[in-house]
Amino acid sequence: MKTIQHSYGADLSWIADFTNQFGGKIDGNFIIIPEELQTGTRYFLDCGEGIIAYYINVVYNKDFRFIQKNLDNNFVGIYYNLTEGEATVNSNSILYDVGRWRYNLSIIDGSLESDYNVKKGSRTFALCIFIKKTMLEEFLKKNNIHFHNIEKIANPSLNTIVRFERMSSESYHILNDLRKLEVGGPVFNLNLIGTVQMLLSNCLKKFSTERIIIQTVNSSDLTSIIAVQMFLIEHIEDQFPSIVLLAQMTNMSESKFKNLFRKVTGLTPNNFFMSNKLLRAKELLEKKQLSISQVSDQLSFNNNSYFASKFKEQFGIPPKIFVKHL
Amino acid sequence: MKKITHCYSLTPEWQSELAKKLNAELIDNKIIKIPESIGNGHSYFTQIIPGISVLFIDFTLKTPLKITRRRSHKQLYIFHFDLSEHVNLIKINNKDYEIGSYDKLDLAIIDNELESSFKPAVNERTIAIRLLVDKKLLNDFTIMHSKKVETKQKNRGVKNFFYHYGNIDSNSILLIQSIKDKPISSISFEPLLKGVSLKLLGNFFNKFYDLKPINNDITNVELEAINKTKEYLLSHLYGSFPSVTFLASMAGMSESKYKILFKKCFNDTPNNLFIKEKMILASTLLKSGRFNSLTDVIYELNYPKLSYFSSKYYVFFKRKPSEDFVKNNF
Repeated sequence: MKTIQHSYGADLSWIADFTNQFGGKIDGNFIIIPEELQTGTRYFLDCGEGIIAYYINVVYNKDFRFIQKNLDNNFVGIYYNLTEGEATVNSNSILYDVGRWRYNLSIIDGSLESDYNVKKGSRTFALCIFIKKTMLEEFLKKNNIHFHNIEKIANPSLNTIVRFERMSSESYHILNDLRKLEVGGPVFNLNLIGTVQMLLSNCLKKFSTERIIIQTVNSSDLTSIIAVQMFLIEHIEDQFPSIVLLAQMTNMSESKFKNLFRKVTGLTPNNFFMSNKLLRAKELLEKKQLSISQVSDQLSFNNNSYFASKFKEQFGIPPKIFVKHL
Repeated sequence: MKKITHCYSLTPEWQSELAKKLNAELIDNKIIKIPESIGNGHSYFTQIIPGISVLFIDFTLKTPLKITRRRSHKQLYIFHFDLSEHVNLIKINNKDYEIGSYDKLDLAIIDNELESSFKPAVNERTIAIRLLVDKKLLNDFTIMHSKKVETKQKNRGVKNFFYHYGNIDSNSILLIQSIKDKPISSISFEPLLKGVSLKLLGNFFNKFYDLKPINNDITNVELEAINKTKEYLLSHLYGSFPSVTFLASMAGMSESKYKILFKKCFNDTPNNLFIKEKMILASTLLKSGRFNSLTDVIYELNYPKLSYFSSKYYVFFKRKPSEDFVKNNF
């Protein structure tokens, strides 16, 4: 196991030390790390306004332990983590499983130490956003945002923030769009800053609407809801399997299942399924390998016009126009 | 018709002039609220990063209005993305362009040194995003693709200024659609707008300066089928040409589609390709010294008449077959 003790921060000072510990080097905005430890890309960018974005798309070739001890505690880290594999975060002596199918959005105050463990062979795609607390506060004020827990967020002595959540599927797809792009260059930077802004927008929406926080859901229930989500994503090309069946999978009553699913994902099971299906359809159309009717058949839509109308409902334009202008 | 002139800058100051002329309320140096007498709606202006600003327009007009942007010497490009579901008019260099609605042309890029005027349709909801980009910044983006800039088809150079008029790509349309129905008063609007704007620019550069030529017209399945028929042709060179009907059915396409795709892939018709390959084979057979006479060779290749073969051979190699023929000496 390789242990790395490092700091993060809302400026670029942490990068040199971080890179040294890996025995790597900095090339432009890339952090190059020896192949035997990991393969893939690490990229950082100063987005202005006190925001640093740190993009990770790697496969770990060794077990890693990252101990985060920050020199500055004037920032908040927002971690979008889509690891496929085993990864845990130990923060405030509570252990959280993180990754795509677990807690994939964590918001951790810079003043806290955390301990991130990741197993060999894990494939990590993550975007970390470090934002200065003062900037966060100003950001909220500048955007005319008033909500009651603003002091809690901004004032470290009152409260330190630790939140482990699941990102909205909107955020997930924003990240997925970013993942498709080739890293590096000014155009990618534009996209990266754009992505960061959109994610922050989503995140703020979450903060302000005070939706039910996942942590209030019983953990075994949460696991089974997430299992259902996984099941739905795996069977995205089939027809919707019915609430009865899904509820049976989780050993819950139908009404309990529906309520919990909604709490966790913000969508009803059917809506969740349909919107993911349509996003899949969009991806298939983008590849230009299949015609609209082939896509509609592959995704088990009963007929093309239903598919087209659903597509239009979700994206605002019919699939034909979408394909035409690609 | 009410006429209004204004000019743009990257910083929010320009708005006060426009707001005054419109009798509109300017909120926070960001939002211009269109007065009831003209219509209802608003515009939203914000700076994103140094050198890039965005103006989001969403209004329904009651009376006709012509908004003219004066030329100015600020080094800017204006990207106008229009997603209104009807047609607006944009006048550049005294030429009217229709813009708007998703199946018309809906993207205009205008140099700030050219005057343009915008005439939104009356009683329809007009939605547009205008990005103001510093030319210096744009140069950074185009540096790596500088070769391409000259060859872009739709650019019409007017002296040193240029404008461009084209389509928004689908992913950008989706982005604008996603912001269309968000209330501007909501807290997450500004970061969303910034994010969307930057991604729009990103998409634009990716699309227009993409150096990889993408073969969009042929799907992998079709390509495979075409290659299969080509393999078939090459392995049956000794026979006669198997007919397009046969090849098309082998590829699972109609004859016309098959011919078009084949031509796209190999830049030649199936028959020509076949004959070409056959002639190359003929030439090696002739030179091989395994045959006693020319007639033996042409029978091997399934040609019924020597004269026909000779004429074809001459077309390809500008030589008679007899000149290349090496006789079997045993």
